[in-house]
Amino acid sequence: MRRKPLHSVLLYLAALAVALFTTAPLIWLALMSISAPADLTEVPLRWIPSEVDFSRYQALFDLESGAGERFLSALRNSVLVAGAATALALLLAVPAAYSFSRRRAPMVLLFAFLATIMMPPITYVLPLYTAFSGLGLLNSKVTLVIVYTAMLLPFAIWLMKANIDVLPVEVEQAAFMEGASTSFTLRVVVLPLALPAIAATAMLSFLVAWDEFFYALIFTNDLTAKTLPVAIADFAAGRVTDYGVIASVGVMATLPPALLAICFQKFIVSGLVAGSVKG
Amino acid sequence: MSAHSILSVERLEKRYGDVHVLKDINVAMQPGDFLVLVGPSGCGKSTLLGCIAGLSDVTSGTIRIAGEDRTHAEPASRDIAMVFQSYALFPNMTVGRNIGFGLEVRKVSDGERDAKVREVAEMLKISHLLERKPAELSGGQRQRVAMGRALVREPKLFLFDEPLSNLDAKLRVTMRTEIKRMHQATGASIIYVTHDQIEAMTLATRIVVMKDGVVQQIGTPKEIYDTPVNTFVADFMGAPAMNLMPAKVSRQDGAIRIEIATAGGQPLVLTDYGNAPTLLPENPADLIVGLRPEAITDNDQADGRQIQRADCLLDVVEPAGADTYAVITLGGTEAIARLSGDATVTAGEIVPLSFNLSKISYFDPHSGKRL
Amino acid sequence: MFGRRQIREKWMLLVPAMAVLGVITLAPLVNTLWLSFTDAKITAIATPVNLIGLENYVYALTDTDFQDALWRTLYFTGVSVGLEVALGIAIALLLNQEFRGRTLLRALIILPWAVPTIVNAVAWRLIYHPEYGALNSLLFQLGFISSYQSWIGSPALALNMVILADVWKNFPLVVYVALAALQTVPGDLLKAAAIEGAGPWKRFCAITLPWIAGPLLVVVVLRTIEAFRVFDIVYAMTGGGPADSTKTASFYVYQEYFNYLRSGSGASYAVLIAGISAVLILAYYAAARRQDQGGRA
Repeated sequence: MRRKPLHSVLLYLAALAVALFTTAPLIWLALMSISAPADLTEVPLRWIPSEVDFSRYQALFDLESGAGERFLSALRNSVLVAGAATALALLLAVPAAYSFSRRRAPMVLLFAFLATIMMPPITYVLPLYTAFSGLGLLNSKVTLVIVYTAMLLPFAIWLMKANIDVLPVEVEQAAFMEGASTSFTLRVVVLPLALPAIAATAMLSFLVAWDEFFYALIFTNDLTAKTLPVAIADFAAGRVTDYGVIASVGVMATLPPALLAICFQKFIVSGLVAGSVKG
Repeated sequence: MSAHSILSVERLEKRYGDVHVLKDINVAMQPGDFLVLVGPSGCGKSTLLGCIAGLSDVTSGTIRIAGEDRTHAEPASRDIAMVFQSYALFPNMTVGRNIGFGLEVRKVSDGERDAKVREVAEMLKISHLLERKPAELSGGQRQRVAMGRALVREPKLFLFDEPLSNLDAKLRVTMRTEIKRMHQATGASIIYVTHDQIEAMTLATRIVVMKDGVVQQIGTPKEIYDTPVNTFVADFMGAPAMNLMPAKVSRQDGAIRIEIATAGGQPLVLTDYGNAPTLLPENPADLIVGLRPEAITDNDQADGRQIQRADCLLDVVEPAGADTYAVITLGGTEAIARLSGDATVTAGEIVPLSFNLSKISYFDPHSGKRL
Repeated sequence: MFGRRQIREKWMLLVPAMAVLGVITLAPLVNTLWLSFTDAKITAIATPVNLIGLENYVYALTDTDFQDALWRTLYFTGVSVGLEVALGIAIALLLNQEFRGRTLLRALIILPWAVPTIVNAVAWRLIYHPEYGALNSLLFQLGFISSYQSWIGSPALALNMVILADVWKNFPLVVYVALAALQTVPGDLLKAAAIEGAGPWKRFCAITLPWIAGPLLVVVVLRTIEAFRVFDIVYAMTGGGPADSTKTASFYVYQEYFNYLRSGSGASYAVLIAGISAVLILAYYAAARRQDQGGRA
């Protein structure tokens, strides 16, 4: 079927509009981060920077500068907390998913698990705050790891279950026939087969933890535990006169998830679609 | 039940909710037996194998292996090995590790394990593949690896679940021979599930024919073939199937008179001089008579009272190389006659055929049971 | 293989996950419920807590500020999800056409989703800046506005501006779900309709939309559940202002807890919000289940 020329023109115009809508805010954020401070306060705006200025990034990676210290410690906290929570969540999710998939654990329980993450965090936060405060665990990365593990767990179980469901059950049966225990079979037979699924689950979990703000806001209060989202909110709330600094932190916080999303697009999109559509 | 049974299944029942999958299964097997479970798909044969393997729980009944009650034992503690239809090789392990997996689990020393794996690989002619991954193997090679994994532990009992159904026709015949050779060489006790009655006939020392979760008949291939207990077994076992023809049967002077309607109007009348089955009615009755295709032929050299000749109209002629099959209409159904391979007959021809009544079967038309 | 050992294993494999979720979600939920019947306050020194029955609820249900916050949340939820769905379907339809650069565009769409919520909020806050923001400058230079606007400084506009930023971040999910659904629409059906003389709009309404409605409904409910919890973007963009015009339900409870330190009263609001969420979650399972069964049929 050949398209009429007008149709083609409209199609490409629409595609261009979508591309602009999707990328413009990000491009502008990146531009701000490398514009000279003076360019950012011209009225009306000077869109193309008069000079390319990477000084903010230099400052962000300089522990001696105030911004650098805040950024680097937040980056470290985010990486540690998101990484540890992802690892823990998977460690707990794989056996649970196996139980749902191969041991006929009641699905109602899985739905209940999933319901816990759909509830607004505001319904959990106060008792958690009181409890962690009583344990002297406020402003600690460990606290965030524990809470994030619980937050990531249901979705990780769900995703892993869907993936274990489609593995050939006969291979596991063969292992049992050969005398292997369940834990041995899980480690030696199931895990290697489920590796792609585990990678996809880990990525999505990491991104969710990386993005989390609410609990981090309430449970942390200084450099020892504040994560990037909280640090960024601080940067933005403070009396920073140079908006380029805020923009550069934003760019840095966006880079890891954006790179993951672009490089593993197929993985992530299929996980997202499956995760949001199937019950 | 004999104390020497390697396996005995007693009054086994299995239900999934409302579905009654296995009904009162009783099977015993002696060491060295090659027992084939055969039946159409959905007959429960694979479920029965799963119960014996311990992969599927039973609703009631007992499973004894080598005399010990193993009804609720773990698969691992039953001392059995299984070859799966999909081979179920561990895709992330080499062939060598696949074969040695059971020994690895049992913590057999590396040296001993290696030696055993090599020995089995040698026997199955896959020594050169030990370092490969399953994905790099052909179907037949995977089949051998699966067998190797089962053989290496020298278990009491081997289970095969339709192991040849994923292979192409030619390879299937080759592997069939391999399995038979393996059985003869090792004297292993084997339970083998298939829906292919030819596999059943060629491999088995004993056959269990199943249908709808019920055992129909247990016997040697010859017993099953010659004296099927009902029309289902008669029809299912043997290719082409036994001809089952409605006939008027009556006792006459110590013999049995069989009258079969033909398309021509003049009925075919045969007389069976053999011993009448005890259940044969005293009075004339409408029954089903069964004759194997090779009992209706053009070249029966034997002679005697039980070989009787009659002219038949051939509806269809199908040359098959070694034999020629001809379809004739008898008793309102299509019957198949097995003629010699170089018979020069054509469809529409009327040909004298000899009917060998020495192996005739009589069935009740309602219950289908053998009389 | 469902002997006793398997049943024991079933629970052993589940227990660690259940323990974590029990402690981190179930216990706090029960505790929040209990708090909602008390006059508890967040204090430095321990003070006795009294059960006061339904008093908090009576107050909450007559609290017009909270009612306003709830309506605001519903407005936010309805408008953002509505826009996301409209935009998502439109873009998915576009991406389902063949044109050069389609693969690149499909890949670009994921970028807004990848931007952390807080970065999104802060970036749009800069874009909306009354003096140096890109939006003012762009619209002014293009001649759409004659003077700079205070986008998130004006109570009339602020919530809508927050919605726009939220839609920008969340439309990709709808695009990908709609696109996956669109790819299952049988081309023959559309061709047959075209031959019968149905125009593009008629074809979309009669064939495409019903076909993709199931998965869309599920993602709509899921997004509704998420949008209803909205907190982060409000916190970082407007702090609930100006004049409470962006104060959503979660934000309201947050302030009740951590600004006014009234945990008992806050908990009753939280329970009410949880109740609404629970209804939405049940709706989600109903939609997902219908979709799952429809998928199998």
